[in-house]
Parts: sequence; C-alpha cells; structure tokens
Amino acid sequence: MPGTSALEDIELIIEDIGGRGGKGPPAGGDDGGGGDSSKRRGPQPPSSRRYITAIVVALVSIVMFFMAMAAAFLFLRATSKNWTPLHLPALVWANTAILLLSSAAIELARRSLARLRLEQFRRLWFLATALGVLFLIGQLAAWREFIHAGFYVSTSQASSFFYVFTGLHGLHLLGGVFALLYVSLRKFEIAKVSRPVAAEIASYYWHFMDGLWIFLLALLYLGK
Amino acid sequence: MVTNHSGGPPEAPEPAPGVLSRTIFNSNHKAIGLRYLWLALASVLLGMLLSLLMRVHLVWPAAQIPFLPGFATAPERYAALTMLHGSLMVFFVLTTAPQAGFGNYFLPLQIGAREMAFPSLNLFSFWATVVSLLGVTASFLVQPNAGLTLWTASVALFCLAALLTSINFTVTVLDLRAKGMALPRMPLTAWAWFINAILSMLIFSILLAGCVFLLSDCFFASQFFPSLAFLSQQPPSIAQPNLFSLWQRLFWFFAQAEVYVAMLPCFGIVSHLLSTFSRKPVFAERLAVFALCGVGLFGFCVWGQHMFSSGLNPWSPLVFSLLASSLGLPACVLLVTWLGTLWNAKIQFTTAMLFALGFVSLFLSGGISGIFLAGNNLAAASVSDDFVTGHFHLVMGVAATFAILGALFFWFPKVFGRCLNETLGKFHFWLTFAGVYCVFMPMHWLGLMARSQTVGGDLVALSSLGASLRTFITVATLVTVGAQALFLINFAWSLARGQKSQDRNPWRSATLEWTVSSPPPFDNFGATEPIIYRGAYEFSASGVVPDFLSQNAVPAPSESLSQAKQASETSSRKESEGIHARHKRSRRH
Repeated sequence: MPGTSALEDIELIIEDIGGRGGKGPPAGGDDGGGGDSSKRRGPQPPSSRRYITAIVVALVSIVMFFMAMAAAFLFLRATSKNWTPLHLPALVWANTAILLLSSAAIELARRSLARLRLEQFRRLWFLATALGVLFLIGQLAAWREFIHAGFYVSTSQASSFFYVFTGLHGLHLLGGVFALLYVSLRKFEIAKVSRPVAAEIASYYWHFMDGLWIFLLALLYLGK
Repeated sequence: MVTNHSGGPPEAPEPAPGVLSRTIFNSNHKAIGLRYLWLALASVLLGMLLSLLMRVHLVWPAAQIPFLPGFATAPERYAALTMLHGSLMVFFVLTTAPQAGFGNYFLPLQIGAREMAFPSLNLFSFWATVVSLLGVTASFLVQPNAGLTLWTASVALFCLAALLTSINFTVTVLDLRAKGMALPRMPLTAWAWFINAILSMLIFSILLAGCVFLLSDCFFASQFFPSLAFLSQQPPSIAQPNLFSLWQRLFWFFAQAEVYVAMLPCFGIVSHLLSTFSRKPVFAERLAVFALCGVGLFGFCVWGQHMFSSGLNPWSPLVFSLLASSLGLPACVLLVTWLGTLWNAKIQFTTAMLFALGFVSLFLSGGISGIFLAGNNLAAASVSDDFVTGHFHLVMGVAATFAILGALFFWFPKVFGRCLNETLGKFHFWLTFAGVYCVFMPMHWLGLMARSQTVGGDLVALSSLGASLRTFITVATLVTVGAQALFLINFAWSLARGQKSQDRNPWRSATLEWTVSSPPPFDNFGATEPIIYRGAYEFSASGVVPDFLSQNAVPAPSESLSQAKQASETSSRKESEGIHARHKRSRRH
C-alpha cells in the first residue's frame, strides 16, 4: 500500500528529528545546542537548545510585525492620492555603514570566542556594542536633521512611515544593545545559559536587526 | 501490567517561602494556567451580563437600566457596550481560556515536562493580560475618545502577552518533550496547542502592528489613518466606506484567523474527549493532525473574505471565496474523524462527553450557515447582519464555550481533586444546549427576513413576525444565561465539598497528566522523568478490564526488550493496527 508507506516515511522523518525535542534551529550552523549532551539531565539544569529555538521563533514573529508595517506602507503608497516623496537624510547612509561594521565585529567576536580567545572576544564584542550605540545616536541625529529640513511626523504619510520605521527598529536595536551588554557583563558561572550560547543568540538577533534595517531602508528609499 | 511509572512522587517542595512568591510571583505553569481560567470566568460572566443588557435594550428600548442612566437615549453607549462585550468574549475568554488557561496547565503535563520553557516570561504574559483586561473594561467608563485610546493600548498589550505566550508554547513543544514523546505520539490537544501557538504568533504580530499605527496617530499625529481625524469632524453620512481600508485589512488579517485561534484548541480538546469517552482511538489520528494544520494554514490566508463589501481587486474576491470555501476541507476531515471515532463505540455519556457532542452539533450547524457567507456576494446570498451575528456566535462563541465547558468537566478532578456533580452538569448541559439553539437559530431567520423585506413582500406580516422573534430571542437569552447559574452553583459546591476523586485517573484516559496525583505535585513528575512508549489513544474495545494503556506504562517483558530500545524511535508505526492483538498478548503475560 504505497499511500500509507509514504505517510510512514514522513512519520519516520519526524520521529528521527523529534525523538528528543524538536528540530534544530534553521540558522544554527554549528551544533546549535552548546552543551546539549544532557540526554539524562537531572530535574533542574535546562538544555540550552530552548533559547535558540526561542530566538528563532521570536524572530519569525518580529518579521510578521514588520511585514505588516511594510504591507501598510506599500498599500498606502499605492492608494494614497497625495503621496509626497521623501528625501532621506544623508546621515542614514553613514548609520547603515556603522551597523554593518557592528555586525561584522560581532561575527568576528563570536568566532574568537569559539577559538577560546577571550580577550579578543571581549574587545570585539565591546566594539560591536559601541557601534550599535553609535548607530542609535546617529539615528537620533538623522531625526534632528530631518526635523530641521521641515519634515515632522505629521507632515506626510511618507514621513510618518520614516519616523515609525526608524523608531521601532531603534527600539528593537536598543533591546539588542542590552542583550550584548548582558553577554559581556553577566557572570556566566551562575547563569542558566553558557556564554557561547548567549553570544550566539545575541548575534543572531543582531544580524537580524542589521538585515531588517537594510530592508526598511530599501523600502523607504525605493518606495519614496 | 499497567503500572504507574511515576507512581508515588516525593513530597512536593514548596515553591518558596513568602506570600508574594506563592501568589503574585508564582510562575508555576499550573498556577498560571489556573489563574488564566479564573480570569476567563470573570470575563465571561461580565460579557454575558452585557449581552443580556443588549438584548433587553433591543426589545424594550425605553427600559431604564440600573447603574446605566441615560442608556436608553445614548446610542454611543450601546455601541460601547457591544464593543466591550466583543472584546471581553473574544480576547479574554475565547482566546485565553482554551489556549493560555488549559494549555498552560496541561501542555507540560501531557508532554512530560516539568515546566513551560520560560516560566518568568509566562508570568509576565499573565500579568500583562490582567492589566489589559482592566484597561479594556475601564475604557468603557471614560470619555469616548480617551476610551478608544485606552482600548487600543490595552489590546496592544494583550497582543504582546499573546505573542510571548505563543513563543513559550512553541518552544515548550519543540524542546521539552519527555523521552519517547515523538511528535506523532503527542495527544491531539498538545498538537492543537502547538499549531495554535504558531498561528497566533503570526497573527497577533499583525494586530500589534495595527495598534501601533493607531497609537502613533493618536500620540504623534502621524498620518497613517488621516481619514480618522477627518471623519471625526464630519457627520456620519459623509463617511466613505473605503477610507478605512488599511485598518480593515490589518484588522481582518488578524480577526479572520482569530476565529481559528479560538477554535483550534477546542478541536483538539473535543477530539481528545470523544476518543476517551468512546473508548476508541481517534479515527485516522494522523489525518486529524493534518486537518488541524490545514485549519491553521487556511485560516491564515482568508482575511480578504471580509473585504468583499469594501472594495478589492476584481479578481481577489474569487480567490478569497475559494480559499474560504476550501476551509471546509479540513473542517470536513475533522468532522469525519469525530464521527469515525464515535462510530460503533460504546459511548459513555458523561457531562464532558455531552459537551463535546454538543460542540460537534453546533460546529456542524454553524458550518452549514457559513457556506452561505463564504460566497463573495452577500447580497446574492440573501442574508444580512442578524444572519452573520447568528452564524458567528453559533460557530465561534457558543461552540468554543461548549469545548471549554467540556474540558472543565473533564479536567476538574485533576485540577482540584474533586469531581463536578454529574447530574447537575447534565441538567445544565441540556438547558444550555436547547437555549443556544433557541437564541441563535431565530437570529438566522431574522437575517433572512430582513433581506426579503428589502426585496419586497408582505411588510406588515414580516415586521410583526420579526418583532415577536426578537422578543423570543431575548427571553431565550434570559433563560440561557439564567441556566448558567446551575453551572456556577455546581462549580462552587463541587470546589468546596464535591465528591473526592479517589482515583488519580477517573476517566481511564491514557495521557500522562492522569498518571500523577490530583492535584498534580509542584514539579509534576517528581524525581523520575516519564518515558513514553506509545501514542495517546490506546483504547481497546475488546472488553479486557483496563481497556487502555497509559502512554508511559512499561511494556510487558516480551516486548520490553525490543521496545525499550526503540522507545524514542519508531516502534509505534504498526501500533495502530496491532493494538488489539498486542494488548491481548500483554494481558496473557
């Protein structure tokens, strides 16, 4: 009976993956479990895999949130009768470069942590955090520039979108800055999660925020 | 031998000393789940009261209502009442009780986990939900403009809480299952909570985005809904329907799927109850799981169905109409698995089972009226507002409430260690069952009549019939709401002095929550971790005495060698065919 055997195959696949707690994270290249050797863990110490699953799931949810906003942007852009084009302040391009650098720094930091070069990790991680803060300050400066040019939140729909996109992205990035600070300041001897796992999760989030910013910028620039 | 694998758990350790950590900051999943249920109970009582006020006002518009002076003369108060009724029922009862309430309590127990993945996050979600409930209720009492802002902010907070809850659920199911609890072995309830968590994660993000737009318009004078400011200065007759298009899209993207967010866990619960009380495995269980996934997938795709009357591309009504109709497919599959489970079964008519059967009945009749609404031309379907109201309440509100009540009767002994009174429960069921049909079926007729009035017909006869129907509906509502007093009495009485449940598994169900004492100990399974050997619906109709096998019952010696090795693998493939034979064999040993 070919029909049932195909079903059984699917079931086998699912069971192979899910014999002990679900799929690995799609993005987790290097054994996304850190110290997940706990097949027979005692009652207390939780496996770190759940944190990686959680960040992937949370990112999906954030994607939906911003997709709804992007859809609203495209919808209003297409239907609005008095859409006034937007001239992005020049500063946002510099900010974008800063954020890209920060992302690169965090990737290098994570790799040096994997090679156990702790001092290098600390330095690069601090650099990434500082660049992140610099990006946020730069965004505020871009707002200032925009306001001086006479574009307020209420000026037009396009400017409303600019402020809301940058503001919400900034808020999410601020959360990311706190995550980075957590990784560098936390005493991991007493934490539930090990430093490499925390660094991995924080870097996923950071790269995602980087990509999200590029997407939003492209939307604002191309859709003006 | 059917033994309780985790029998005799050690004494439950106290969470922590101190009143605060035992009450407000108690992050134990059972405490949180139970508190969600209390929250839903409070909301449903308030919501029912409001619907009563509406019905009374519709039939006796001049009646003075205590505490609401001037209600009779102020249309916006009536609108606010409708809005409060809807928000309370949809957000704090239908979304909260089946998923966050029962889910939080029983998901970790059913998959053999000690806790949810992130207890503190869970605690935060709960209190955010409470604050949002207070905000929504308070918005009724303040000035209309401030009230709307407060309402929007509260709903945004609710979305955030729902998002965090669903992340928690998803991670718990993916990563915290006990050894051997492969995905196909999960009970359908756990499947439904899982799929529902994914669905609500996707759609509550959309509603949150919409709320953020609205709030940003309010506080920062942004221009997302410029028509709103324009409209507030105009008489209502000027309002152009397509001005709201953006909000409508964002809202319906959420709201159409929200119906399935409320229904999905109910599907799971009903399948579970039907199987348990039919003493039969769920018919085509795998198909039922696919159907649950299908409901989630289609439910996510049909938002445009609600936009037919407000302007869309010419081709899209057809697409959405097809999509909406194709929702019938997973629904039919579910119905077939339910009927297949019931077929030829020795059904035990407990109150929980009655409510599950009531759910199937309501789902069927609501679904049939839904076929009319899936068409892309409401005018051609000859229906109007009352028809939609009737359909929506029957299929979403009342059916889901039946599933919730069924779940309550089913799990009450586990949660409180006492049983609800069955006689009173059955009485309550029949009154409610007859009552809701008396309320919502005439509402369908009213909708059909309103249309035939515009088409032409004997106006006088129709309107007098309509008036008497309305009065009938209101009286039926009064009786049905009054019947809920029976439930409250039953609930309160059983809680205090109901018959103690001697057995930890009074319904002889096979899932893990019934292998622990009632109420379950603080850390669920004590020092031992349960190991799962088989699926969740191993019932046998062949007349042997314990006619079920617990998921964690250690297999008999002859199989244990081969099975224990494969415990986390795929031994259950042939189980569905071989259960009866194997069960008999294990008896012999």
